[in-house]
This record gives sequence, C-alpha cells and structure tokens, in this order.
Amino acid sequence: MKKRIFGIETEYGLLVKNDGDFSLDPMEIANRVKNHIFSKNLGVLDLHYRANDEPPGNGGFLLNGGRLYLDMGHLEYASPECSTLVDLVTYDRAGDTLVQEAVEELGWADHVSFIKNNVDLETNATFGCHENYLVSRGFPFDERDNLKLLSSFLTTRLIYCGAGRIGFCDPHPFRDRENITPDETQGDEVKFQISQRADHIPNEFYRWVQYNRAIVNTRDEPLSDPSKYRRIHLLVGDSTMSEFATAMKMGTTTLMLEIMQLGVAKKKWVLADSVQSMRSISRDQNFKWHVKLASGNSSTALELQWDIFNTCKQHLAGMNRETDWILESWESVLTDLPKGPEAVIGRVDWASKYWMLNEFRNEENLEWNDPWLKSLDLEYHNLNKETGLFWGLEANGEGYRKTTDEGVAFAKVNPPRGTRAQGRGELVKRLMNQNAHLRYLIDWIGFRLGKTDEPFLMLDPFISYKKEVVEYLDQFDSTPPREIKQGDGHAAGDSGDGGRVDGSRAGGGRGKKSYG
Amino acid sequence: MEMNDPLRRDEKKESSPDRHDSGPSGPESSRPGRDNLLKRMKKVDPKQTEKYKQRTGQ
Repeated sequence: MKKRIFGIETEYGLLVKNDGDFSLDPMEIANRVKNHIFSKNLGVLDLHYRANDEPPGNGGFLLNGGRLYLDMGHLEYASPECSTLVDLVTYDRAGDTLVQEAVEELGWADHVSFIKNNVDLETNATFGCHENYLVSRGFPFDERDNLKLLSSFLTTRLIYCGAGRIGFCDPHPFRDRENITPDETQGDEVKFQISQRADHIPNEFYRWVQYNRAIVNTRDEPLSDPSKYRRIHLLVGDSTMSEFATAMKMGTTTLMLEIMQLGVAKKKWVLADSVQSMRSISRDQNFKWHVKLASGNSSTALELQWDIFNTCKQHLAGMNRETDWILESWESVLTDLPKGPEAVIGRVDWASKYWMLNEFRNEENLEWNDPWLKSLDLEYHNLNKETGLFWGLEANGEGYRKTTDEGVAFAKVNPPRGTRAQGRGELVKRLMNQNAHLRYLIDWIGFRLGKTDEPFLMLDPFISYKKEVVEYLDQFDSTPPREIKQGDGHAAGDSGDGGRVDGSRAGGGRGKKSYG
Repeated sequence: MEMNDPLRRDEKKESSPDRHDSGPSGPESSRPGRDNLLKRMKKVDPKQTEKYKQRTGQ
C-alpha cells in the first residue's frame, strides 16, 4: 500500500509515594486519573461492557479519536489511527500529556508518577507498548519464511529502538517471571541491557499477548474490512521516550513491511534463533551484537541492519518525504552507533540512559546493582517534566523533537486528519454536545446510537467519515449541551447491549486492541 | 504540522558510515549539560524502585 496508518498503545506504570498525607491504592489512583480526564469533557466513557474485565466506565474514546482505559492493572492510552509519523509521535505525546496534566490538576504530582517503561525491576512484571501497522490483506503474513524475515528485523532493530534497563531476568516459556525465585535467575550477570522487553519474549511466533509473548504476534484482528486489510500488531517493542526513537521504531518497521510486500527482502537475513539472538543482543555488555544466521554464517545486528537499510533505500527512496526522512535518519543512527552511546544521545533511549547512569555511577562510586541506579532507571521514564530524567535531556536541547508544544496541545482535543479517527472524534464531540442525550456504543470499527439496530460502520481506516458522521447524527434530535460531571459515565450504567458495534461478527473490535 | 527534522542540523552531517566497526566504544564524560543532569539525578529517591509495584500486563 502506498498510504500508511500507524498506532501505538501504551500501558503506563504507576509509582506511588504514600506517606502520612497521602495514602491511595494504585488502582484507585489510575481510576481517578482516568475519570478526571473524562470529567474535563475530553471524551465519553463507555456505557456498555466491552469484555468481562471492561465494565461500563472502565474507559472510553477521546475527542482526539484515541482511547483511554484501565487494562490489567494499568492505565492505557491508545493513540488514534495516524497517517504520518509526525502525527503518530504527536498523538503519542498528547496521551502522555493528558495523563500527566491530570496528575497535576488532582494535586498529586509530589506523590504520583506515571512511568512510561515496560518492566518492574524488582518483581520483573512486564507490560507493553504495542505497535500497529495497517497492511493490505495480500501481505505475505501466512508464510513462515516471510515471518522469519520480520523476526530478524525486529530482533536487530533493538540496537536503536531499545529503551535499556539495569539487570536481567531469566525467561521461562509458559509462565512469566512474577513468581520466580532467586534460585531460578541463573545466567551470567548482566549489569545493563539495551532492551526492556527482550527477557520477556520467549517465542518467535505466537498469537497471545500476555505470557508466551512472541517477537511476531500472529493474531489476525484487523479492526477494519478483513477482505482488504490486515493489522500487524507487535508487542515486542519498548516504550520510547525520545520522539526520534518512536519515529524510528515505527518508521523503519514500516519500510521493512513494505519491502516484504514487494518481495525484495532477502532470505539471508534470517537468524538461526531469533529469540536467543534478541536476548544476546540485548545483554551484550560490549555492544558488539554478534548473531548467527540460519545460513550458518556469522554477522552482527549492525551489519544486518545496514543490509536491510540499503535494500529499503534501493527500493523505496524518493517515494515521499516521510520515507526519505526515515531513510536519512536510519542511516545516521547506524553510522553513529559505533561511535559510542554519547554519539546517539537523545535519539536512542538505551544509549541516553546508559550514558546518564554511567556518569552518575562514576560520580557517586556506585555498583551497577545499586538500588539508586534502579531508581534512576525508572526516573528516566517519568512523565513529570520537572523530575523525569529524559526531560532533563530535552531541557538541554538534546531531545530531538519531531513535534511542537502547539501540535501536542492540538492533538489532545482534536483528531488527526486523513483517517477514520476524524469521524470518531466528531462523533465524540457531538455526543458531548448537541447529541448528549443519545446512548451510544463506540468501537474502533464504528458505532451504534440510541435504540437503532444498524451500526454505522467505519471499516476503512483511510476514510475520515467526518461528513458522513455529521449527516448521520443530524437524523437524531439535538439537545442543549449537557453538564458533564466527574464520573458521569459510571452513573449512566450498562446499556445491556453486549459491547460490540458489529454484534453479528466475532473479533470485530474488542476495545483493548486498537490502532493505537 | 511541519516535520521538525533535527537531523538536518549541520553537526549531524559530519558522520560517515564505517561498516567494519561494530559496537560502540566507551562513554565520554565532557558533555555540556552533564552537571545539570547529575543534579537532577541526585534528587531522585534512591529507594523509589522498591515502591514501584507493578502487575504484569500485555
């Protein structure tokens, strides 16, 4: 496909500093932050069950077309469908900003920190940052050899997409590390590794999203017309703080998918064992990143990425401005990585974090396993710009921004152009104003209003549907804007209509899965 | 929104590919802004990692 659609889902961690003046349970905090955002007229809470663990009021769609909800103990933001990388990074940051502003407005900034990372360094619990890419239904996803090519790319992109972490945990297939005992954490001592998620990915291919996570998630849930599209849903990546890193993660992966679609990806890129390679690349204390290829030859992640980059450049250069930006940025980061972490500060999160921690370690004469360094590792991902370490880099002018503050402010309350998120954003706005009396059921693929049986479907993510949505809503009576009060969605209760727009077809769009 | 492309800065044009040099060398310590970052780091509660009790998600 010549046009692109991306989305990112982010599960936030929550750090609570309870003391005599402040004592709230993390789940209660997440719930109140979510309710606060909806009480500000920034979206509409669900009136219906979406799943057993998603009751009415558990989450809702936002004015910007994205979604905010509670999922498995985490506050989660799903960006709207975006047609450009700049839009994607902007809407990703808009979600972070909505959450952090809510914390500050509730007066909790000294006690509550939302952490945009993927691992609890004490318990080794993990939580995700999911990437979504729309491809045509004809994409060669069912051929295992092709998936191995994608797996090789995702494994080696760690060198510029990883967010880094102190320490390690030993993965176990068929069970997570929550209950692991010290005796089970065998293996070489790892002081620092370049990926947060690598230790938690025990499979190359699998369809589950919790436990037994895979480098390539094979679930087929298009959230669009299944005869035309497939949604590539990846859960292998780290949450990235750097806007450049986020754009690179999504941009290079898109180009990889496009050369696979063209049939020019090379079989020689296939790794002998992607899962093992991902772990060894991530844990390599010397940053040499050696890999063994399926052919029996040896290579490095850097060499493999150069070959993939050159193939993308050969076949995709000049396609459009965004593609050329990806290629130029990709080349620059591959060029600079061998110069050391300092050469890519602000562009590669693991390198930024490694450099900062190492400077501090030397200054304070600390060992890598010192709890203070673990605490600093967390603080790198804090959304609070006053304290978070990444924001210190940005304050120094090393944040490599792709967005503007004005763009992010716009993205908090307006949908992106060029995708169906625009129609969804219009729907949410109308449901908070002239159509506030209507009961509703909204999902990624459409919506249903009042007592109508027929859903309004938005099966093509490339169509904005804005005009059609407005015309459709005009059929219903208008009412003056209602006064939205905190927790309004909860008070509305359950409509009892099941939780799917497309009730006749299974797998049409469970709320947890998204383009964001 | 215009794409703000930091890589078009002049200083980022100086590098050239060296395919034979795999992996970074050790970090340097003379970076501008380093002291401000260290001050920020020093304010972090050394034990906050113990308060970060997360459940496994997806």
